[in-house]
Amino acid sequence: MSIEAKNVGKVVGDPPVRILANISLMIEDGEFVSLTGKSGSGKSTLLYLLSSLDTPSEGSVHISGNDLGRMKSEELYRFRNVEMGFVFQFNYLIAELSALENVLMPTLKLHRKSELKPFGESLLEKFGLKEKMDRFPRQLSGGEQQRVAIARALIMKPKYLFADEPTGSLDSTNGALVMEIIKRANQDQKTTVILVTHDEDFANLAQRTIRLIDGKIAAGPEPFEQGSR
Amino acid sequence: MIFLAFRYLLERRKQTIFTLLGVFLGTMTYVGVSGFFLGFQNYMVQQLIDNSAQIHIQARQDVLTEHGLDEAFYKHAYVQWVSPPSGLLGYLEVQDPQAWYQRLRADQRVRAFSPLISAPVLFTLAKNSVSAVLTGCDPLQQAQVTSIAKSMVDGKFSDIAGGGNRVIMGDELMKRIGAAKDQVVLVSIGGRDSTPMKVVGRFISGNRGSDLQAYAALNDVQRMNGTPNRVTEIAVRLKDYSQAGSIAQDWSRISPEKVESWDQQNVNILSVIKMQTTLRFTMIFAILLVAGFGIYNVLNMTVTQKRQDIAILRSMGYDTFDIVTLFFTQGVMVGAVGGVCGLLSGYLLCRYLQTISFFPPNSSHAGETLHISLDWAIYLQASMLALVAASIASILPARAAGKLTPIEIIRAGA
Repeated sequence: MSIEAKNVGKVVGDPPVRILANISLMIEDGEFVSLTGKSGSGKSTLLYLLSSLDTPSEGSVHISGNDLGRMKSEELYRFRNVEMGFVFQFNYLIAELSALENVLMPTLKLHRKSELKPFGESLLEKFGLKEKMDRFPRQLSGGEQQRVAIARALIMKPKYLFADEPTGSLDSTNGALVMEIIKRANQDQKTTVILVTHDEDFANLAQRTIRLIDGKIAAGPEPFEQGSR
Repeated sequence: MIFLAFRYLLERRKQTIFTLLGVFLGTMTYVGVSGFFLGFQNYMVQQLIDNSAQIHIQARQDVLTEHGLDEAFYKHAYVQWVSPPSGLLGYLEVQDPQAWYQRLRADQRVRAFSPLISAPVLFTLAKNSVSAVLTGCDPLQQAQVTSIAKSMVDGKFSDIAGGGNRVIMGDELMKRIGAAKDQVVLVSIGGRDSTPMKVVGRFISGNRGSDLQAYAALNDVQRMNGTPNRVTEIAVRLKDYSQAGSIAQDWSRISPEKVESWDQQNVNILSVIKMQTTLRFTMIFAILLVAGFGIYNVLNMTVTQKRQDIAILRSMGYDTFDIVTLFFTQGVMVGAVGGVCGLLSGYLLCRYLQTISFFPPNSSHAGETLHISLDWAIYLQASMLALVAASIASILPARAAGKLTPIEIIRAGA
């Protein structure tokens, strides 16, 4: 098993407000899981807890056998750099860098830029951005920017891809294109994908859907079995 | 992160330039003001050292206290005076000058010395009479101890060598008495008969008080004063003037004479110099504080504007140190570039100031320009101040950026 959450809960604010309660789940290596639910159901919060961007108020999260709550800071950041990729609703591209430079940003942390530059170029080419590698974000459309963001998330060949409403700011055509890229990353590179979406069609692209209602997992399909979809 | 920091600065060109200007102006001002003040101070000190002896060995005269003579008259007794003694206790001349000459010749720290005898005299020419001080000296020795020979504007200082009742006068004294070169003036000391003396030269030292003096041969003045072989002072020049204070202290302990160094005699002037230094540092501190605030404000704004970048960098695995480095580097880069530009401009400013003429055309220093210090220590201090100001101003916003968590930023943006 790749990601395991044990009795995870999250409380925020003063007075305290419970966002998640007693979440336990397992996600296998190479699985494509979607987290769905109405607005405010806690799906994004769960994604952030599973990806180490946030810490649970109760319970624990394990990834690849590591308890995220017990990992040393340096260890955690390195793990995040090498094993995780993130795609958000807003692409968060750095405006001062070109498309290719944005894609290569994660490689600088461990001085792997020259090693991974050809791979970065090939990703952008695969995503239809061959001629636009030197363009700045302001010179790209919304869909193009999001594709650059996905390339950035995949440059380190991560084991896990966390995507929080990646199509939220896109039209249907670009949204479909982005989802196609994410699905191919799961199929071709065996990347474990955890996708937060409120779009049923996109959620159904996953092998398994976990539905959240008021911070709890609603009864749903059985855990993933290889080749079930 | 340095590459990204550099990109951030380039992208906000106007902001960067304005922030840089603050450090640039502060550094340039420090170099220019310090060069000016230090050059002036060095010139002042050099004048003090050159125009007068570095150590004065003089006859000691102390004010007599009520019990100052008790031991001399009644040993080991407490004396209640009906009419306590008063006046001055001491000598009018240096006791045993020969011993001093031997000591000074043997001391490796002494470059030259000049025995002097000074007496209050009355100069008379026709109906004009002026009181002044006449100093007897060996002109060749005196020229090695002070810069009096360089202050001559008429005749040579060595013209009084060998005696012969010749006198050199200060410009102010000559004006007051109405004398000219080669005229004969009458000189009387202490009510004795007047002695005719020929004016063979004139000097302008730039100090009105000094220019009221006159010089003659040592033996001429000794004879006129009725004190042959006596001297009232020995002027000493050292190889290293900075040792004057400690040497004067040592010599005070081993002789009855009053031994004073040039810095002891010019305490007021030196305290003005200290005040100037304090003023200089205060001014520069204020300028760099303002420049520092400029950097602080701009960086604070940048951190706020770049919150999303911070969030995505954190999600990529960049840690607190990386984020702090990203913003700290920007401030330091601005400080470094502004500092370097300021140093260069300050240097050019100093070179320009060095071409400005300062003394009136009729003075003995005519043609001399402003004394500006180009001491490397000024440039080193300026660079350090610029970097320290930039670093302090940058670290607070950088640390604030480092404390931001991606989740706060992402939630705020969602």
